[in-house]
Parts: sequence; structure tokens; C-alpha cells
Amino acid sequence: MRRAKLGTLIWAAGLALPFALDSSWVSVAAFFAIYAITALSEDIILGRAGIFDMGHAVYFGIGAYVTAILNTTLNIPILLTIPVAMLVAAGVGALLSAPLIRLRGDYLLVATIGFNAIFVLAMQNNPGGITGGSDGITGIGVPTLFGLQLESQSSMFWLDWVALGAVLLLMHNLDGCEFGRALRYLKQDELAASTLGVDARKVKTLAFALGAGLAGLAGTLFAVQLSTVSPSSFLFTESVTLFAIVIVGGQGSIPGVLFGTALMFVVPQIFRGLAEYRYFVFGIAMIAVMVLRPQGLLPRKRIAT
Amino acid sequence: MGTFIQQLINGLTVGGIFALIALGYTMVYGVMRLINFAHGDLCILGAFIGLTTLTSAAGGGHPGAGLLLLAFVVSVIVIAVAGVALERIAYRPLRKADRLAAVVSALGASMMIENGIMLVWGPQVHVFPSNLLPATTWHLAGATISFVQVMIILASLVLMIALYLFVNHTRFGTAIRAAAIDQDAARLMGINVNRVIASVFIIGPALGAIGGLFIGIYYREAYFTMGWTYGLYAFIAAILGGIGNIPGAMLGGVLLGLFNAFAAGYVSSSWQDAITFGLLIVILLVRPTGLLGERVAEKV
Repeated sequence: MRRAKLGTLIWAAGLALPFALDSSWVSVAAFFAIYAITALSEDIILGRAGIFDMGHAVYFGIGAYVTAILNTTLNIPILLTIPVAMLVAAGVGALLSAPLIRLRGDYLLVATIGFNAIFVLAMQNNPGGITGGSDGITGIGVPTLFGLQLESQSSMFWLDWVALGAVLLLMHNLDGCEFGRALRYLKQDELAASTLGVDARKVKTLAFALGAGLAGLAGTLFAVQLSTVSPSSFLFTESVTLFAIVIVGGQGSIPGVLFGTALMFVVPQIFRGLAEYRYFVFGIAMIAVMVLRPQGLLPRKRIAT
Repeated sequence: MGTFIQQLINGLTVGGIFALIALGYTMVYGVMRLINFAHGDLCILGAFIGLTTLTSAAGGGHPGAGLLLLAFVVSVIVIAVAGVALERIAYRPLRKADRLAAVVSALGASMMIENGIMLVWGPQVHVFPSNLLPATTWHLAGATISFVQVMIILASLVLMIALYLFVNHTRFGTAIRAAAIDQDAARLMGINVNRVIASVFIIGPALGAIGGLFIGIYYREAYFTMGWTYGLYAFIAAILGGIGNIPGAMLGGVLLGLFNAFAAGYVSSSWQDAITFGLLIVILLVRPTGLLGERVAEKV
């Protein structure tokens, strides 16, 4: 419980960030919140359900594209597109999971790589003229809340931060609820869990849908933050980064995933002058962390049962 | 008919290259049950090292056949050493760890090599010299075969036959096959599994370096992100044939090369990759063990 209280306190303190930082750093903080939601959603599928999903950028991208298309072509207000983006992403996740979860670990991983590649190619080829091809979609509007335009970087940051808070609350409660426990049993021993009445197929499909839906939410926030979406934001490398965040940070560990996100997305902003060395150093760091701490940097604490 | 034969020749050329690279994936997976994500990048590193050998040894002059051979030798040696070093540093400490730790380590190695190439050679596309090989071409039923294509097809064929004979008809080859079936039992029979794994990380990257240099010579270009693209294709080829299965990787490479060539020739080329990945997913769903069946070690 002490950890949860500490977390809440840190989150509340985070709300004051726009008063302490200049606007370029507020935007870094906003991106941190967005990627943290995406990484947490990957953690549901990879870290908690133990499904090797290396195509998570697909669901993130679906959320972004749904918002972009609905907002620019039908003029639907941004906040109203959020449930649609989440539902479409969750639906696609559930749909793809049906064939995927029958596959064994490595094959599943490869199939999700394939889905990611197909998604990017499909967006580039502009099917039906709705995705804007390689250039993507520009001119996504500003969210409005009770007639208030959330136009400034600070207000957008608050929107992202509140969304992150909601997702964190959900992740925290996931540990205690029946679904979360079912995930844990399944990951530890699928056969034993099945004999105890856990419906493996149903639980895994739900995990996929939930993870994909939350990634869809992050996608919407991402589209709003950039006011543009293009296929290059949802490449396979993004999926690899999300995958690495969960494993490097610590599977099923909220502090671990947040720390991993900060390492992958915030640290590079501090060393912007050395941008070209970024991935070279990341590569070495990924090997080093795995060799020295295969369980991740901040592994999940064992919960007494 | 002319188009058909032309695509057949193009497909066999590319298929030979895919097969050479796919062998590295399949041998490593067969023995260690690890997708060596860095393999594609190692192959392209081979292309860059070969290119640098060519241009620096020629000193602006005309690189002859002897120099080309030298480029292959240097590249094969460097990449084989790099492969063994990679296994020692990034994979060996993780053999008993969670499978995902090794996967992330492999991804990190891939990122490191790819961006290492960028830091050394720069992000631009490097063009291979055009006069490396005779510009001789043959005409066959309306199709054109170039000298390069003949060389690649023949060399791939010879290398694959040599590997097949080595794995199936020598003592060390038997040890490799035994380790791929059951590492513990192999160890009990007196096989040095560490040596088998090291040998797999010599043979795979060495063949891959040749494949990478072939890519450079055939397409006459090399750039740092190439490793992912061709690595992924070769990996799909390995799965197509049945991962861990050496003849399977050869068959898968050739079939995928042909499939790609015909998809590019008869269907729109902008959807070509999507069709290839679609094929991958269909294989995984319908027959995940590949055409010739998987042969992998049980992970202990």
C-alpha cells in the first residue's frame, strides 16, 4: 500500500510540471505520459499475459488514425473520438488474437511482426484514399472540454497526465481483481490454471483487447499532441522499443515499465546533441541490462497470496 | 513466356541469397531456440566490409577478380569472428535465463550493429562499383541472364551442397544435429555443446556475409537499414522451410525468392511486401512447422 500512496503522490506532483518547466520540456513530459500508457498496455499483453506481442505499434497506430480520420473528414470533436479509437483498436486486437494465441511463443512473435509490417504498408498504400499515404494526415484539431480549447502545451499535458493517471489506477487494480489473478496463473502455468477453471482462450483474448484498447487511447493522445499522423510513427521499431521497455523495466511491474519508458523516451531528449549515437548506445544498454539483470531493472515484487 | 522465365531467373538469384542468410537463422534457432535478430545486420555488415576492402585495395583503379575474392575472404573472416563474439557476449550468459531476456539481447545487438554501421559508414546509400564482374549476358527464350545472376545461383548452390554434406556426413555435423535434438543427451554422449554452438555462430554468419555481399553486388548498393529488410525475408524463408531444418531453409529461401519475384512481376510492387508478410502469417497459422518440419532442441 505504501508504494501505491507514494505513486499517487508523485503523480499529483507531476500535475505541477507545466509551472516548473518550459514548454519544450512540458511536451517531453506529455510524450512520456503517452508512451507510458502505450508501454503499460503492452505490459498487459506481454508482461502479464505472457503473450509475445511484437506488433503493439499497430494498436497505437489504429487509435491515432481513427482519431485523425474522424476528426479531419467528419469534424467529430477529438474527445468523442477517444471511445471509438479505443473500441476499434480493442476490436482489431481481439480479432487478431483469435488466430495468434493458438501459436507457440516464437511463432506468435513473428506473426505479430508480420501484422505490424502489413499495417504500415497498408497505411502507406492509402486504401480508399483515407489514410493519406506516406505523408499521413495533417491538420488534426484541438480537443475542447466544456467549450474550453485545450490548445496550449500545458493543457494538452494535463489531458495526457490525467489519462495516464486513469490507466495507472486501472493497472494497479488489475493486480487484485479476478482477471488479473487469472492472467498471473496462466502465465505461471497454463495447464494448472486451466484445470482450475481458468478459460485460457477467453482470458488471453480479453488481455489482448484491453491492451490494444489502451494503446488506442494513447494513439489518440499522440495524434492530438502532434496534430498529424503518418505511417513512420508506427513502424516495427516502435514495437521493438515497447517490447524492450517491458522486458528491460520489469514484466508486470508498474514502476519498472515507467522507468523503462523514461529511459527510452526521456533520456534521449536530455542528450539531444548526441542524437545519432542514441540507438547505438540503446543497443549496447539492452544487451548489458539483460546480461546483468535478466529479470529487468525494477522487477515485480512477489505478491503474498 | 519471356516474363515468366525472366522472373524465374530473378527469383532463383534472390532465392539463393535468401537461402544463404536463412541458414544462419535456422542453424542458430535449431541449436539454441533463439531468433538471432542481429543476423541480418551481420550480413549487411559483411557487405560493407567487402565494399571497403574492394575500394581501399583497388585505390581508385579497377578492382579485378582477385580483389573480389579478397573482399569475400576478408568479409567472411570478420563476420565469423563477430558472430562468435556476439554469442559469447550477448547470448551465452542468458542461456539459462528467461527466453525473453535473450530476445531483447538479440534485438539490442541488432540495434547496435545497424547503428554502428551508420556511425562508421554514414547514413547514405553506398554504390558498389559497376565493373566488378564481366557485363556478359545470355538470352534465353526472351529472358536475359546476367553473369552476376549465374555466379550467385551457382555459388549459392555449391555452398548449400557443401553445408549439407558437412552436416550430414561428418562427425562434427552429426554433433550439430545431435545438439539440435537434445542438448543434454548430446552432452552426455561426450559432445562439447559449447563448441557446437560456437561453430553454428561461425558457419551461419560466414554464409550470411557471402549472402550480404551478394546483395550488394546484385543490387549494387548497401545502406545501414538493409539488414532488417533482408534479415526479415531470410527469416521468413527459414520459417517457410521449417525452422531448425537445414534443407528446409534452402528450399524456403528459393521458394520465397520465386514468390517475391512473381509477386513483383505480376502484382503491384507496392503491395509486394504485404503479400509476403501475409504469406508468412498464413504459413504460421496453417502449418507452423514449415514445409519440411521444424527440428529444434528442447529448451532446458
